[in-house]
Amino acid sequence: MSETSMKRHMGLRASRAISNTLIYVLLIAISIIWLIPFFCIVLQSFRVESTWQVGYVIPKQWGFDNYVNLFSTDFPRWYVNTFITAVCTALLQTVIVLCMSYTLSRFRFKMRKPLMRFMLILGMFPGMLTMIILYRVLKDLGLTQANATPGLILVYVASSGMGYYVSKGFFDTIPKSLDEAARVDGATRFQVLKKIILPLSKPIVIYTVLTAFMGPWGDFVFARYISFGASAGMNVAVGLYNWLTPDQINKNYTMFCSGGVLVAVPVTLLFLFLQKYYVEGVTGGAVKG
Amino acid sequence: MKAYSDLEFLRLNKWQKMLYKLGRFFSSIPKGVAQLFIKLWGLIKNVFLAIGREAKDIVSTFIHGDWKTKVSYLVMGFGCLARGQILRGLLFLLFEIVFIGYMILAGAYWLSMMPSLGKVGPSEVYDEIFDTYVTTYNDNSFKILLYSVLTIFFIIAFIYTWRINIRQNKIAEKILASGKKLKSAKDDLRSVVDDQFHKTLLALPLTGIIVFTVLPIFFMVLVAFTNYDGAHDGYASNLFTWVGLDNFNTMLSWSSAGGTQSYAATFGEILAWTLIWAFFATFTNYFLGMFVAMAINKKGINLKKLWRTILVMTIAIPQFISLLYVSKMFAKDGIVNGFLMGMGWIDKALPFWEDATWARITVIVVNIWIGIPYLMLIATGILMNIPADLYESARIDGANPWQQYTKITLPYMLFITGPYLLTSFTGNMNNFNVIYLLTGGAPTNPAASSASGSVGYTDLLITWLFKITTGAESKYYLASVVGILVFIVVALISLIVYNVLPSIKNEEDFQ
Amino acid sequence: MKKLLAVVLTVAMLLSLVSFAAASSLAGEYEIKVWVADKIKDLTEKQIERFNETNEDGIKFKAVVESQGEGDAATNMVNDVEAGADIYCFAQDQFARLLTAKALAKLGVKAAETVTATTDEGAVKAVTTGDGTMWAYPLSADNDFFMFYDKSVIPDEDVDSLEKLVEDCEKAGKYFSFDLKNAWYNSCFFFGAGCKSEWLTDDDGTIISVDDTYNSDKGLIAVKGMKKIVDSDAWNSTSEVSAFESNSAIVVSGIWYSKDAQKILGDNYGVADLPSYNVDGTDYHLTSYFGFKLMGVKPQEDKVKAAALHKLAQYLTGKDCSLDRFEAVGWGPANLEAQAEEAVKNDPTLKVVNEQREFSVIQSAIHGSWWDIGKVIAEEIQPIAADDVDGLKQVLQNYENKMAAVFTMSSAEKEAWTVIGMYNEADGFFFTDYSDGKETWTADLAMVKGDNGIWKTEQAWPMEAGVEFKVRQGKSWDVSYGNGGDNFKVEEAGTYYIVFDEAATTISLEKAE
Repeated sequence: MSETSMKRHMGLRASRAISNTLIYVLLIAISIIWLIPFFCIVLQSFRVESTWQVGYVIPKQWGFDNYVNLFSTDFPRWYVNTFITAVCTALLQTVIVLCMSYTLSRFRFKMRKPLMRFMLILGMFPGMLTMIILYRVLKDLGLTQANATPGLILVYVASSGMGYYVSKGFFDTIPKSLDEAARVDGATRFQVLKKIILPLSKPIVIYTVLTAFMGPWGDFVFARYISFGASAGMNVAVGLYNWLTPDQINKNYTMFCSGGVLVAVPVTLLFLFLQKYYVEGVTGGAVKG
Repeated sequence: MKAYSDLEFLRLNKWQKMLYKLGRFFSSIPKGVAQLFIKLWGLIKNVFLAIGREAKDIVSTFIHGDWKTKVSYLVMGFGCLARGQILRGLLFLLFEIVFIGYMILAGAYWLSMMPSLGKVGPSEVYDEIFDTYVTTYNDNSFKILLYSVLTIFFIIAFIYTWRINIRQNKIAEKILASGKKLKSAKDDLRSVVDDQFHKTLLALPLTGIIVFTVLPIFFMVLVAFTNYDGAHDGYASNLFTWVGLDNFNTMLSWSSAGGTQSYAATFGEILAWTLIWAFFATFTNYFLGMFVAMAINKKGINLKKLWRTILVMTIAIPQFISLLYVSKMFAKDGIVNGFLMGMGWIDKALPFWEDATWARITVIVVNIWIGIPYLMLIATGILMNIPADLYESARIDGANPWQQYTKITLPYMLFITGPYLLTSFTGNMNNFNVIYLLTGGAPTNPAASSASGSVGYTDLLITWLFKITTGAESKYYLASVVGILVFIVVALISLIVYNVLPSIKNEEDFQ
Repeated sequence: MKKLLAVVLTVAMLLSLVSFAAASSLAGEYEIKVWVADKIKDLTEKQIERFNETNEDGIKFKAVVESQGEGDAATNMVNDVEAGADIYCFAQDQFARLLTAKALAKLGVKAAETVTATTDEGAVKAVTTGDGTMWAYPLSADNDFFMFYDKSVIPDEDVDSLEKLVEDCEKAGKYFSFDLKNAWYNSCFFFGAGCKSEWLTDDDGTIISVDDTYNSDKGLIAVKGMKKIVDSDAWNSTSEVSAFESNSAIVVSGIWYSKDAQKILGDNYGVADLPSYNVDGTDYHLTSYFGFKLMGVKPQEDKVKAAALHKLAQYLTGKDCSLDRFEAVGWGPANLEAQAEEAVKNDPTLKVVNEQREFSVIQSAIHGSWWDIGKVIAEEIQPIAADDVDGLKQVLQNYENKMAAVFTMSSAEKEAWTVIGMYNEADGFFFTDYSDGKETWTADLAMVKGDNGIWKTEQAWPMEAGVEFKVRQGKSWDVSYGNGGDNFKVEEAGTYYIVFDEAATTISLEKAE
């Protein structure tokens, strides 16, 4: 290697080292900013002296009291409700979304485009409005208040077909020649789906399950509207949110935080293990919007 | 806007080029809008033409059909049964029986009540023996509206099935005339998983969407033409009834009672902020998320998975907990102000939530905190997909990192994520959680406080809608009007963008 | 032996019959839903149990008691009265909303008499609309606000003066937490200066009009007073006592936080009634809006269940249960006998509540929009210079405009015809109010539209000869008809429906059978 190119090489390396250091500094700063609220909430959950949010971060008294006390409230019930909702929603919603997106990606039929356009337009209508009427429909079915859990599952799952975009985008990336070869061999459409497409769709299945599973944990607006006045039918979000009324907030706020931490546990764990598939699924699909 | 030829364009300097492109974009909007209306008109025309064609076909099938076909006009499935397609025939017949039964038992009643939405409201009498007031509840406007809408849907479904039933007869006649055999029940069953497989797959999702999305939306649109609110809940307080376009007049009129701000002005203010918010919320997240993803992806950066996981952890804590906490962090006596004052950097608390401009900037900044992890995940995958040799050849040509970014990364990202940008823009317009949990709309806009639900400077249309619904007077009808207007705004924006940006239009391009 | 047995059996049967007849009125089992604040949930369960055991009517309640924040209870009731609780607690500010939604059952005549006799006078006023219709049972009489302060920062001698308190906080670099962005709290400046804000209701609980004098010279004094704290950097708009943990020295709040405040402040816990503010040399004592916690019964279709529920509500708001609650959670009773107990009288926090009550205005049914209209005043005056009188007046003018706009009518109401008139003094059923010494029309008698544009009163009214009235449209005098230009006159006494033909613009009377 000549002397000049050596110099240039070293210069490059030096500049790369500088830029990498800068990036590390930046990433560390970002990580701190992103984690501060997270850590603060975790710290609050260990704060024994219970009042609403305080001006200091480090608890004066540490302890597991909040976690222990959670179990003398209805929290376990809410947690189970939400867990059931999340699991059922994850399973059923995945089936529905995959049916929808697979069909729209693979079949060419007359109503396909109008259907997609129609759903796009439907999606522009603010869903919040339909809360009132959905409540009444569920009420007539007897699925509100104490029986809200199946009602919530029904609503989450029923309208989930509209969220087909990401997985349709994913199916679009699977070459059509695969299906056609199988069709030539005499396989029915159903067999094509079962034997060829599904095995290739692991990332998008996991992505769909994951997003469907996460949804119910944070729903406090609609779920609250459906399960009001009956602790037995509430999900964690609603139950915890109800602790924020003035007569309870000073007693229950730290417990509220510990409840939140417990809610975050399953979601975080799933994310940690399935991150790879999530990224694959979302990038295969989201880009097509 | 004057169009340049390629040669002229190349002669322009950088700024002129950019201005030119921007100008072209905006000057194409009117054309896009015009095309849009032409298309809409075409759509409406086609619908009517199609109805006309169908009607003609129905009549001609009747005239030319045999007696089996003719009976099928009254007894659905008769043709199928008579021609040996028992399964199909029975299904048609069953549907007809169910439909007629429903109409006689319930449907007719609901439809007859629809024009009035109920005649007898609740009444109350005093009972002396028990010293108590006894209430009698009578008609229920809400149920009447709901079930009459359901009935209408059912009738449409029936007409559609009836039409299929007729077409089936026509087709069957044709097949038989050509000497072929009709499909047997076994063939029908097989087609469910084969040529008609798409219908099988769509049946469940579409039923769900119709019952739990289309029907409610249809219902809520109708509510905009009633006086349904807390004082007229249709059952317990008073019946509600049709009021025509009154609510739209209220919302869209610029005049208002003595010196208060009109609804139209309030709506305009909130809409303006909603658009500003959606713009910044989308693009700050987009560019910063891309930037973070690039930083993590850069060669020579270790612990890639750790950085990503840290960012993703913020997704795991439900927003109603994390955002409430963040909201208090920025309060006047919150820890952010406490920290800044403790360090001696400021001597007066910063008005994060007290001042309109501060609050608006703060919500956008906090939204970055929420949005970047998602964007980072998406961008990571896309960036990995960019062919490495593109960068290699760019480096050989002596392009610096900035040039690589503007010439390769950005165009690639923009091309691929164009549709995503649009959906995330409209999604942000309806981003309820962030605003509701962070500020609840605060600080209050004094001028607009007479409008339902007390409007604040950070209120989006969607949070306003929520406030109207849950506000003191529960004006559902007004919320419904706002909902319809939000829909119109979002739809217009999307359609314009779709028509102006050609790359979004054609989904097959991506395959 | 057999005979004896027969006699015994017969007697037993007769006895049971007699007892059955006596109890037949209310005895039975009822499944009910009850919503109360979280704090008293367990207590209420016990109290209902005790009611089941002790009541003399044979009523047995199988109650599901759920905890509901008092604001939430009302919201949920309004959303769906049908699915709401049979008995529920709510705070005074939700009263009007619940009335509008018809989520409250009227008290029977005897029940109303009992409550009037045994309950705090203010509380009775607070649950009454119109000429004396009562809608709820007062549960506690302590819903007002006063001042918690940190004794280590605020010297005891300063607690009477707003100016001094602000100064103390500024000097110590502490916050003065006062939730003036809430209409309930900021009203104390206006009431202190002598302003009025009273909503007038009719017997059905409908709010008819408002008598509000915020926009006046007194109101100007109030906003000038409010400027003193609003302009200070020490002002922090919250009523949460946890603010003591974030650098506040004073928090204006209510009895519901007294225990929490004591816990946080420990030995430095101070409590006092609200201070006075001084404008142009005169002191004005801040005057709080005094409300009550109430217990409502949902309207029922079954009269027996309704009567039983009212019995339970009376019991739960009676002396014993009020004292239970006082002991368990420190709520100040609304029941007079309970109020007379020594322990209640000597309770230090309740003492402050009662001191503050001397400077308070009783809250009744308040139109829901008022909370939104009133809450902006503090924020609106903040940017205006303290000596900019015109600017401050404009804020009050804005307030008045918004208040006036509350009573805008829907087009149906604008088109509706009503009867307005006067009646002889005998039993004035019509709506002429002479209370101010002058004759003012306060309400219209509604008419219902029938076929062919014929409007008719909902019920027939007894009228004497010589009664006069007119009909008018949209409750305004823009369009009105009588007999030509004059009032319509009843010529012969009788019980009539009033009928108005919109097309012919003629009034006629239709005799009731």
